[in-house]
Amino acid sequence: MSLNKNMRVMIVDDYTTMLRILRNLLRQLEIANVDEANDAETAFAAMQRQAPDLIISDWNMVPMTGLDLLRKVRADGKLRHIPFIMVTAESKTENVIAAKQAGVSNYIVKPFNAETLRAKIVSVCPVTA
Amino acid sequence: MSEASSSVSRLQDAQGYLDRVLRELRVLNSPQKDMLVAVLQYLSDHISATRREIGAMRPSANGQFLSGTTDELEEILTETAKAANRIMDAAETIENVAGTVGGDAAQTLMAAATSIYEASAFQDITGQRITKAVRALQSLEAKLVSLSGAFDSFEEGLEAPGGDQALLNGPQVAASAASQSDIDALFESLGAP
Repeated sequence: MSLNKNMRVMIVDDYTTMLRILRNLLRQLEIANVDEANDAETAFAAMQRQAPDLIISDWNMVPMTGLDLLRKVRADGKLRHIPFIMVTAESKTENVIAAKQAGVSNYIVKPFNAETLRAKIVSVCPVTA
Repeated sequence: MSEASSSVSRLQDAQGYLDRVLRELRVLNSPQKDMLVAVLQYLSDHISATRREIGAMRPSANGQFLSGTTDELEEILTETAKAANRIMDAAETIENVAGTVGGDAAQTLMAAATSIYEASAFQDITGQRITKAVRALQSLEAKLVSLSGAFDSFEEGLEAPGGDQALLNGPQVAASAASQSDIDALFESLGAP
C-alpha cells in the first residue's frame, strides 16, 4: 500500500530529539506537512485551530500524558475520527490495552525503525484511489 | 503530630516500656528471669542503637542527601541531548548531500541518514530511564530528610501509584521488554476498541 504524502501530521513528544527524529523520518517518507508540539496541551490547542489528518504522540509526558490527549481527542466532536498512533517506550500489556480501550489506532514501541513507522501510517491512513 | 514525629514517639514509648519491664523483672526473685531479662535488654539496646544511628544521619550543607547524584544524572541528560542533536545535524548534512549526488550513492547516503535517525532514539530512551531514576532518588531523598529529622520509620517505602499513574513505567529492561511484533500481536488480539 502507498502513503498519502499530502496528509497533515501532528507529532507530539516532550523530547525535542524525538520530535526531530520523527520529522526527519516523515520527510524521508515525503510527508512535509508536519506540525509539532512539545506537550499535549499545546498539541490539542493547535489541533483545534487546524485539525490534522494524523496524530503521532508519545505517551509519557507531563502534566497531560499521551493517553490523556488520546481520550481528549476521542471526546472531541471535531477531532474524534483522526487516526492516532501512540509512539512510546511503554510496552507493557496493560498499556496497550489501556490505549486500545481509549481508541488508539495503532501502537509503536520505541525504539522503532523507519519501516515500522511507514507501515503503521499506511495501516491507519490508507490511500483512497 | 506528623507521621515522622508519631513514629519517633512510638519508638521512644517502646523503649520506655521495655526498660520499665526490665526494672520490674530484675527485682523478681525467680530463677527463670535471667533469660528473659537478657532478651529484653538486647531489644532495648538495639532500639537505642537504631535511634542513635538514625539521629546521626545528616544531609549535606545544602540540606540534601543525594543532590550530587541527581545533579550528575541530570548532567548526563543534558550532555546526551547535546550529543544527539550534533549527530542529527551530521545526519541532516548527509541527507542534503544525498540530494545532490544521485544514483546508488544517493540511496546509500539516504539509508545511512535513516539509520542515524533511528539510532538517535537512544537519547529518548536513556532520557526516560534517567528521569525515572532521578525521580526515585528525589523521592528517596525526601524520605531520608524526614527520617534524619525525626527518626521516622523507614519501612513505609514508596507508595505504589494507581490509575493512569500506574501505566507510566517508562522503558522496560531489554530482557523483558515486548518487541514490536509482540505489541502488534497483542494489539490485534484486542480487536476493535
